[in-house]
Amino acid sequence: MLRRIADHLFWMARYLERAEWRARLADVNYHLLVESPTSDPHPWAPLLAITGDNELFAQYYEAPSETQVLDFFTFELRNPSSILTCINAARDNARNLRHRLSSELWLEINTLYLEAQGWSHAVFDQQGVYGFFNDLRNRFHRLAGISYATLPRDIEFDVMTVGTMLERAENVSRLLDSKYHHLLPRVEDIGGTVDRMQWAAVLRSASALEAYRRVYGNHIIIDGVVEFLLFDAGFPRSCRFCIDQLQEAAARIEHEAGSQPAITAPGSPGAKLAMALRGGSTEGVLRSGLHEFLMEVQDLCADIGSMIFDKYLRFE
Amino acid sequence: MDWEAAGRSETAALLSNVASFWAAYKAHPEAYDEMCDRHGCPRAGHSHMLAEFLATHAQKFDEIRARADRMFLNEGVTFNVYGDSAGAERIFPFDPIPRVIDADTWATLEAGLIQRVKALNAFVGDVYGEGAILKDGVVPTDLIKTSSQFRRAAFGINPPNGVHITVAGIDLVRAADAQFRVLEDNVRTPSGVSYVIKNRLVMTRLVPELIRSIGVRSVEHYPADLLASLCEIAPSGASRPTVALLTPGAYNSAFFEHVFLSQQMGIELVEGCDLVCADHKLYMKTVGGLRQVDVLYRRIDDDFLDPVVFRPDSMLGVPGLTAVLKAGGAALANGIGTGVADDKAVYAYTPAMIRYYLAEEPILPIVDTYLLRDPEMRKMVLRDIDQYVVKPTGASGGYGVVIGPRASDRELAETREHIENYPDNFIAQPVVQISVHPTIVGHRADGCAEVAPRHIDFRPFVLLGERPRVLPGGLTRVALREGSLIVNSSQGGGSKDTWVMAS
Repeated sequence: MLRRIADHLFWMARYLERAEWRARLADVNYHLLVESPTSDPHPWAPLLAITGDNELFAQYYEAPSETQVLDFFTFELRNPSSILTCINAARDNARNLRHRLSSELWLEINTLYLEAQGWSHAVFDQQGVYGFFNDLRNRFHRLAGISYATLPRDIEFDVMTVGTMLERAENVSRLLDSKYHHLLPRVEDIGGTVDRMQWAAVLRSASALEAYRRVYGNHIIIDGVVEFLLFDAGFPRSCRFCIDQLQEAAARIEHEAGSQPAITAPGSPGAKLAMALRGGSTEGVLRSGLHEFLMEVQDLCADIGSMIFDKYLRFE
Repeated sequence: MDWEAAGRSETAALLSNVASFWAAYKAHPEAYDEMCDRHGCPRAGHSHMLAEFLATHAQKFDEIRARADRMFLNEGVTFNVYGDSAGAERIFPFDPIPRVIDADTWATLEAGLIQRVKALNAFVGDVYGEGAILKDGVVPTDLIKTSSQFRRAAFGINPPNGVHITVAGIDLVRAADAQFRVLEDNVRTPSGVSYVIKNRLVMTRLVPELIRSIGVRSVEHYPADLLASLCEIAPSGASRPTVALLTPGAYNSAFFEHVFLSQQMGIELVEGCDLVCADHKLYMKTVGGLRQVDVLYRRIDDDFLDPVVFRPDSMLGVPGLTAVLKAGGAALANGIGTGVADDKAVYAYTPAMIRYYLAEEPILPIVDTYLLRDPEMRKMVLRDIDQYVVKPTGASGGYGVVIGPRASDRELAETREHIENYPDNFIAQPVVQISVHPTIVGHRADGCAEVAPRHIDFRPFVLLGERPRVLPGGLTRVALREGSLIVNSSQGGGSKDTWVMAS
C-alpha cells in the first residue's frame, strides 16, 4: 500500500467518523434541552465547549443562539470541523483513492457529498432538528454497512479501522464529557428524573441505550453509563472497544509492513491507553474526576495520531 | 376477437407513430447523416430498428438522458475544465441515441487502424533510431527536428517488442461522401476510453432489451487488453510485472479516467511523489518500504515526466526516470517523444509512412493537408484563408483551431499574422463537412424527445503489444450546439455510445 493512499484512507475514515459524531453531539444537546428545559440563556453554548470551538465561533458569530450554533456546527465552511467541512474533506480524500474503494462505497460518499452541497438552514425547518440529524446518522450507518459488506479485510481496511477507532474513542470521551459542560445537577438531583433522562440522552446519542438496558436494566445512573461507554469490551462505541480494535488493526499493519512495533509497543501511548481502559474502574475514575480522566484519554488519542503519521503516513 | 386484425392494426399504428416521429426530423442539407437518408427517413437495417425504438420510446428518452446525467454525477464520472473555477467537476453530457457501425464497415476500419498505428509506431522507433525515413528523404528531417514534440531524450531507449505507442486514439470523421477519414492521430496520452465503457454501462442499464436484440459487440474487455499490452512491454525478466498508472492528480481533467482504468486493471494509481528511482530501477513508496515498478502507464506529458531531463520545475514527475528507461530497468507507455508522430504537420506524411514501412496502400485516407511552411502552399491558403481550417501543429484538444468560414474578420487577421510570423507552427485543411447524427436537443410540448442532426466524430482506440488489439467501438463525440463542428468536451461537446454490430 502506498503511503499516500494510507494517508487518504486514514483521513477519509476519520472525517467520516468525525462528521457522524458531530451529528450525534448536536443530537444529544438537542435532547438534553428537550428533556430538561433550562434557564440558561445560551443552552447551545455547551456544544462549543465540548468541541473546543468557543473562540472560533466568537470570531464569526455574535451569540450562541440555537440557530447560530447549529449553523456553525453543521454548515460553516470556516469551521474546520463542521459536518459539511468533514464531509467535503472525507470526499476529497475518497476521490483520491476511489480506485481502492468499492464502487458502492464511493457512490454513497459522493451522493452524500453532492446532497450536502445543497444544505442550508432551511433543512432544519423542513425536517426538524431531530429529523435532520437522525437521517444523517442513518446515512453514516449506511456508509458503515457498505464498508463492512464490500471491503476486503486487508491492510487498507486496517488503516481505515485505525482512523475510525481513533476518532471514535476521542469522540466517545467528548460525548461523556458533554454533561460536565452543562449545569451540574444539584446534589439532591443526582439520580433524579432529570439526571436520568440526561444520561439516557447521552446513551441514545451513542446508539447505546438498548444495549445498556440489556446489561443494566432500566437503572440509568452515572456509574453504569461510565462503565458502559468507557470500559465495556463488547460495545462498538465504548472507548475500550475502540482502542482494542485500534491496537489489533495496528498490530496487523505493523506485521504486514514488516516494521518494528511502534503503536503497539509497550509504553507507547496506544499501549498506555489500552491498559488504562482494560484495567480502569468506574469507581476510581469517578473518585479522581471523570472530566480529568476523559481529558487524558483525549491527549493520549492525539499522541497516537501523531505517532501513526510519523510512522506510516509521512513520506519524504 | 380477431387477433390477427388487432395485430395488424397495432403494427399499423406503430408504423404511423414511427413515421410521424421522424417526419418532424429536419435532415441536414449537406452533411452525411449516419442514421437517416437525405429526406430525414431512417435507413433500412439497424438504423431502422433504432429509429423504431426511438419513436416508440420517445416519451422515455428525455428521461433516460436525465437519468444518465444523474448516474454520471453521482458516480463522479466527471471531468475538470481548465480555467474554470478551481476544482469544478462537470459531467460529459451524454446523448442516449447510439451511433451504429455495421460489421463490414468496422472490419475495414479495424484493418485501417492497425495499419496506421503500426506505421506510426515504426516511425517513432525510426526517428529515435536510425532515422532511415529521414535519410531517404520521405519525411523532411528539419520538420522532425523542429517539431515541438521532438525529444532528444528518447534516443537510446529501446522498449521490448519495439513498442513506443502502446495506446493510440485515432480521430476519424465521415465526410459528405460517407467515407471515413483520419482527422488526427493521438499517440501521446489519448483519453476518453473510460467514457466508452461507462456510456455502454449506462445504456445497458437503460435499454437492455434493445442492446440484446440488436447484437452489439461488448467493450468491457478493454481494461484487460490494456493490461495485457502493458505487461507485454515489461523489461525482460519480470515474470509477473508490476504495472502502475501515473496521474498528475485529482485536479487533472482526465482524473476520473485514471481512477477508472487503474481500478479496472487492478493496478496502483500513483502520483510522481509516490515514485523514486534508485539503482537504475523504479520504485513506489509503500507502507512496507519500496516496491519495484516494471511498467509505468503514464498519463502526464513528456515535459513534466522527469525534471532532470525536461522541465526542472515539474512537481508531477519522477527525477531520474529517463535514465531508468535507458538502462532498461522499467518501461514507459507511451514512450517518450511519441508526439512527433501525431504532430499535425507530420500527419501530411502519414500515407507515405504506411507505404514506406509496411509496403501497403493506406486503407484509411487522410484529409488534404497543406503545410504552411511551404511558400507556395502558404500563398494559396492565405489568399482564401476563410475557406480553410487552420490548426497549430503541436496542440491537442481542439485548442487554437480556427475554422475559416466561421471565424470573424479579426480572428482571420490574427491567424494570418500568426501564420506569417510562425509558418512552421501551422497547417491548413479544407473544411470537412463532417457527418451528423440524430441527437436529443430538448423535448416537445407533448413530452417526447426532440431530435435534430448534430455533428459527430469518432475516436477508436488501438493497443500495441506483442500483437495489436482494437477496441470494438470507440468514443463518438457530438457537438451539442447547433451548427457547431467542435466536439471536444472542453468546448461544449457531449458523447454517444457507439455500437459496433456483431454481424
